[in-house]
Amino acid sequence: MWEVMFWPIVACVLLPWLLVYLGLHVVQRGIIFIDIAMAQMASLGICLAVLLHLDLESWTTFGIALGFTLAGAAIFSVTGKRASQIPQEAVIGISYVVAAAAAVLLLSRAAEGDEEIKNMLVGNILLVTPREVWERFALFLAVGALHFVLRKNFLLVSFDRGAAYAKGLRVRWWDFVFYAVFGLVVTSFVRIAGVLLVFSYLIVPAVCGINLARRTANRLLIGWFIALLGGVAGLFLSYWWDLPSGAAIVCTFGALLILISLFALWRHCRAPLGPRDSQ
Amino acid sequence: MKRILLLLTAILACSFSAHAKLNVVATLPDFGSLAREIGGDKINLVVLAKPTEDPHFVDARPSFVVSLRSADVLIDGGAELELGWLPPLLQNARNPKIEIGKPGRVQASQGIHLMNVPANVTRAAGDVHALGNPHFAADPIIAKAIAQHIAQSFSALDPANAAFYEANYKKFEASINAKLQEWGAAMSPFKGQQVVAYHDSWPYFAHRFGVNIDIFLEPKPGIPPSPSHLTEVIAQIKTQKVKAIIVEPFHDRRIAEKVASTTGAKVVEFSQFPGGLPGTDSYVKLIDTLVSRLAAALK
Repeated sequence: MWEVMFWPIVACVLLPWLLVYLGLHVVQRGIIFIDIAMAQMASLGICLAVLLHLDLESWTTFGIALGFTLAGAAIFSVTGKRASQIPQEAVIGISYVVAAAAAVLLLSRAAEGDEEIKNMLVGNILLVTPREVWERFALFLAVGALHFVLRKNFLLVSFDRGAAYAKGLRVRWWDFVFYAVFGLVVTSFVRIAGVLLVFSYLIVPAVCGINLARRTANRLLIGWFIALLGGVAGLFLSYWWDLPSGAAIVCTFGALLILISLFALWRHCRAPLGPRDSQ
Repeated sequence: MKRILLLLTAILACSFSAHAKLNVVATLPDFGSLAREIGGDKINLVVLAKPTEDPHFVDARPSFVVSLRSADVLIDGGAELELGWLPPLLQNARNPKIEIGKPGRVQASQGIHLMNVPANVTRAAGDVHALGNPHFAADPIIAKAIAQHIAQSFSALDPANAAFYEANYKKFEASINAKLQEWGAAMSPFKGQQVVAYHDSWPYFAHRFGVNIDIFLEPKPGIPPSPSHLTEVIAQIKTQKVKAIIVEPFHDRRIAEKVASTTGAKVVEFSQFPGGLPGTDSYVKLIDTLVSRLAAALK
């Protein structure tokens, strides 16, 4: 078992902490589907590279994908206006469907069969290589350090936009940096783990944390615990019952979320007026 | 020197008789079914793809890596059909016994003259396979060659049972030879008839049985049907009076139904893989079913 599951387990231990943290931002901002939109932008870039007959593993291709991710970041930071009539989620949804449809159009012209491209974009956590894990771990450490150093501003912009504006922060610029870095993290994780898993790691632990605690630090700790538990338990289930690993992890997360919601509901019913969290 | 060689052979023979059965992994059900014909109950057989699964896209599960790790023999197509999913599995399994060139690796396409080899490989032609069309096992004569190749590999790795494998090969060869006449007779009234297929999986089958299967619902292999292409296909079906449209279980049957309903052609369910259609648990039964279904539709 270990020789097969060792690196997937390492990946599920070393990588999701950053996704959980970013997930708290994303849930707080109410832009749940931004990860899928960003991943789709990057894959649109790769489809363009295919159309231009570029080598899919080359730096040029990576550059194009990065360019599309940055374009997405720019779109989302410009449209996230303070008092807009149009909800941000609408722009994200539109970006996703247009990017996905544009990819279909490009591929029909490029006429490369999609097996290679699908492979490029959507990884399988079961088949991660040590190198892929370490590369992403290094990237995540760098991004984590950036977020840690600039945490005051990033948190303020995500959690209290009014205060951020009042403080005179250039909110749109901070948004852009947030989305750009976020796009990089999401795209690199999708490459080894697939879209379903990236979405689950971002959203489920964050929602569990919000369900159970109020302070960001407590939410983060709960989220990390859930991410670790769900990831490793999902991998074990996938081995014991021989299931596709990514989907097994996602469903484990779903089950954990139901359990935690029931627990939160029960606690809420028992002490509706009491303090909901030890602050 | 001779004595050392003898000793080595003896040790090898012992080490193989120690674990009685060969662990055989086949990527696709057609190779798996041929391996079963040859290996009978003397092998442990694992087939990775399901017969109803698109062989281009197969979802990896943990057991795949486990099986590949302990495999003595791996039978794959060798013509890039499994390109999308086999290489990362092999990379993870790191099993030297089934590396290309070792007796434990049977690449079914080896020694087979592949059809439709692209003159120059560009991405513009669609999801083409640089080595040629990889759906070669649908030709029974090629299936015999693959079975022989498998028998040779099994015999080399498990000399104690070499006679058994050889006898099974002879039996399979004889049954195909006998059936070929029957199949040929069933298909002979339809020589030169045009048939439409969803995907270009049938050039070898068509070549063997004398029909033409060179109009496809897909504009290019792996590219979903577009409206203008379908219009063209419908016109071709009408002018050439095509009677049958072949689809496989993993194709979008509704597209074929739509084309069929506007042209009067019949949708015929086909499968490249034993087990992909009801009552086709062996290779011979599969070809039996394909031939009788196509003959019925072309009548």
